[in-house]
Amino acid sequence: MPILDRFSPPGNLEELTEEGRSAWNHVVRGLFERAERILDFPQFVDPTKTDMPAGPGAVAQWAAFPATQRKGTDQQRWDRVDNDRGLQDEYCEWSVQRDGGRNVVKVTFTTEMPEYYDHLLTVDEDRALDLFEAFTGSRPSVSDLRADDEYIPANPPNSAHDGPIVHLSQGSNNLFAAIALAAQATILRHDANGDPVTDQEQLVECGGLGKKTRSSDPQIAAKVNALAAEGHEITLADPVGLYLTGIMTNGMKTPDGANPATFWTPERGDEQHLLRAHFAVPEDKPYTLTQVTINGQPIRFGAQLADRVGVRIEAIAKPANHEPHSQPCVPPRTP
Amino acid sequence: MNVISIADVSCQAFVQAPENLDPSVLHRFVVGEDRGPTPVGPAGLAELGDPFATLLLQKGVFPPNADQLLAAIDAATPENDPLRTEMTFLLGEGSQLPGTGDEGPNRRLRFIVSRGRAPEGIDLLLSAADPANGLVELMAWDPTAGGFNYYRTVGRGPAWALAGNSRHALTEPTRGKGPFESHPSGSLIMKELKFPWLHWNSFKAQIPANAFPGGDPRVEHRWFKNLQGADVMEESVAKPSIMRWTEARFAQLATGDGGFADPRRVLEQIVTSPTANLVTSSSESAAVKADDRLVLPSTFFVDLDALSGKLGLAAPPDFSVSGADYLASLDDFGFALTDGDFRHPADEARFADTHFACAVPERAFEDQATLQAALDAGLVSPRLAASLLMVDFPNPVFSQRRAALRAPHAPESAPSAAAYSQEMADRILAAADAAGEGSPEREFADRWGVGEDFADPFDALLTAYYQAVLDRLATREGFFDYVRLAESRRDRVRALPIGREFELLFARPRPDTDAGLLRMTEAGTVEEDN
Repeated sequence: MPILDRFSPPGNLEELTEEGRSAWNHVVRGLFERAERILDFPQFVDPTKTDMPAGPGAVAQWAAFPATQRKGTDQQRWDRVDNDRGLQDEYCEWSVQRDGGRNVVKVTFTTEMPEYYDHLLTVDEDRALDLFEAFTGSRPSVSDLRADDEYIPANPPNSAHDGPIVHLSQGSNNLFAAIALAAQATILRHDANGDPVTDQEQLVECGGLGKKTRSSDPQIAAKVNALAAEGHEITLADPVGLYLTGIMTNGMKTPDGANPATFWTPERGDEQHLLRAHFAVPEDKPYTLTQVTINGQPIRFGAQLADRVGVRIEAIAKPANHEPHSQPCVPPRTP
Repeated sequence: MNVISIADVSCQAFVQAPENLDPSVLHRFVVGEDRGPTPVGPAGLAELGDPFATLLLQKGVFPPNADQLLAAIDAATPENDPLRTEMTFLLGEGSQLPGTGDEGPNRRLRFIVSRGRAPEGIDLLLSAADPANGLVELMAWDPTAGGFNYYRTVGRGPAWALAGNSRHALTEPTRGKGPFESHPSGSLIMKELKFPWLHWNSFKAQIPANAFPGGDPRVEHRWFKNLQGADVMEESVAKPSIMRWTEARFAQLATGDGGFADPRRVLEQIVTSPTANLVTSSSESAAVKADDRLVLPSTFFVDLDALSGKLGLAAPPDFSVSGADYLASLDDFGFALTDGDFRHPADEARFADTHFACAVPERAFEDQATLQAALDAGLVSPRLAASLLMVDFPNPVFSQRRAALRAPHAPESAPSAAAYSQEMADRILAAADAAGEGSPEREFADRWGVGEDFADPFDALLTAYYQAVLDRLATREGFFDYVRLAESRRDRVRALPIGREFELLFARPRPDTDAGLLRMTEAGTVEEDN
């Protein structure tokens, strides 16, 4: 099992030049090194330094709609989250395009990381600006996207909730967060009674791994932790990233009986690593998504679809002989 | 031919069926209509329009287990046929207990397998604990008759028995009998339908391989390897299937001349709780810390989905309690998960709730779907629905006061669906004077009396109630009253068919805790439900 030559671009995108691909490899290696500096993680490895099998070890998968926002009526929660990208914290964000009658025309979902666009802007500025123009309809300047040489994830062209979207912008939605979480989750934990902590929210709480009420992080942590408990070495599958799994269309009805599965259009990433996709009625049909129903309710919100869009990340494991020692819970952070 | 007469009219009737039924023929045993299982002849077989019947039974294929049933469906269908689209799900009331399947109680692990991918939902849904052995229960959509045909294996053979169609759930002499004991509306059951799906494998709580006993072949089966989460079951299977039957049912009940057959059964689903779904906080119980705020299920306090979601009335704020008070309630009431000699936590000095905190019943989705269909059909006007549901609104399930408004007040027929709401209101109003002060009829009369513009006055009632609940939740005493109320409602679920068989459905308080029958008042206090 060879050591990985280099990290691939997210979604196996082919837009980078050879130099750009090499530079991206250095970006991801840098993120791994940064995660490894948090603590010593003997079971979390950089696959460009350690040989790892090609097969998956565990797939964590969850719904795009944020677990922290499941309160209120369906209409309330859908409306609330549609109107605030800052609430879309499950490594997936979306934006809703409406017509003049407020009918939903198109909902675009993305799991693309800000780190990648920062990188693209560095190695191929024209390509980066082309993408912004293609997604938003206008070409930004570099100064719209960077401040003091720092890339701004929630930059002005990428801040809308009701139209264009380019990539993830919410503060927790970044590639480093996912890598660091996976690294930290290789540490086994026990509670004050000495019992192993394996339930996902408890693990996040005990390990100080972030917000326990999200769907994504607790599950990633639990899956990685279970592999670590078996003594395995663990890393994230290449191409490292978060990916859309598709959309569930059972229960959707269209006015003309068209198959709603055909309304889902992948835009970026390969078939197994989908980064961006939209859901829209084909232009030759005389209706909008609002005339499509889901379990009897017209589609009035993008978040109705987010209940049905999946997001995943893949960890891979190599059997090893680690004998991990469980550690007590980290003290709660003082506010 | 001799038919053994079985007196039991519950699901147990099938267990009492003869062990030696011929496995090469379909038997019919619609409990309530049939005294016992009898072979179905060619004419009866030809009437069945579901894919299990048309692809297998009518061709003489009687698979002995779930695995062979699905293999036979594959063999009978071309590649890319929707019936080859399979999704598998896993649940068990003990599935989220710590430890492994070699220890502790029977975790009651069982698979749900769906086939089909029609926009309206799936076509076959089977439940089996084991792909190769044991009982198989099957629901199969019958596009000809409308509704699901219910089948199950019976006896040693095993033989297949037709246990009825969804419509048998709604009419005498079969309603509430056999499978319709736990499927009172003829819909499929996913009682933990909502996030975070207590007891189900989901992205919020995975059921690991070691939940099965060591060496159990089921963990190597494709059902387990291809498990989907409960979110998929909710969105892609349960809700579409419930909607599908509800739509078919309403289409059958519409008489074509503006009338509507059997409106009382519809009203019953609006004012009573024939069954219930279970909902929890979205937090793992064991992860709650003293300085957390634990958000409680809103639908414990009010019928959020009906009053706010369908009728547009004021939605409640977050009802939350301090983590310290929640943890104190576990200790004070002595909650633990028990089943026979099993107790979690094993240490009797420690206490625990279900995996997700505060499991309570809420109005079942099938009843919400029926309410929506009744509104859409014009059988029930928004004013009637709001006026009925605002009677005893602090008790969204198991309200004896609301239940008193059904028969004899609900008219038995509806020659004109459009006039039905007024007729029902008139009947209750006519009875209100005689019913006396404080009666449900008088309360309805007050609600109805606000007229078509009910939103503001009803919102005022709700808002005052929400504030009263918030005030009570700010005190430990107030929260403990709600713990007692929750336990009272759980006891009612335990008495329902969906709760009877499952000791681990909820945590139990100390045996000496007798919640009794309790109800919530508009002042946010808890009192005996007389």
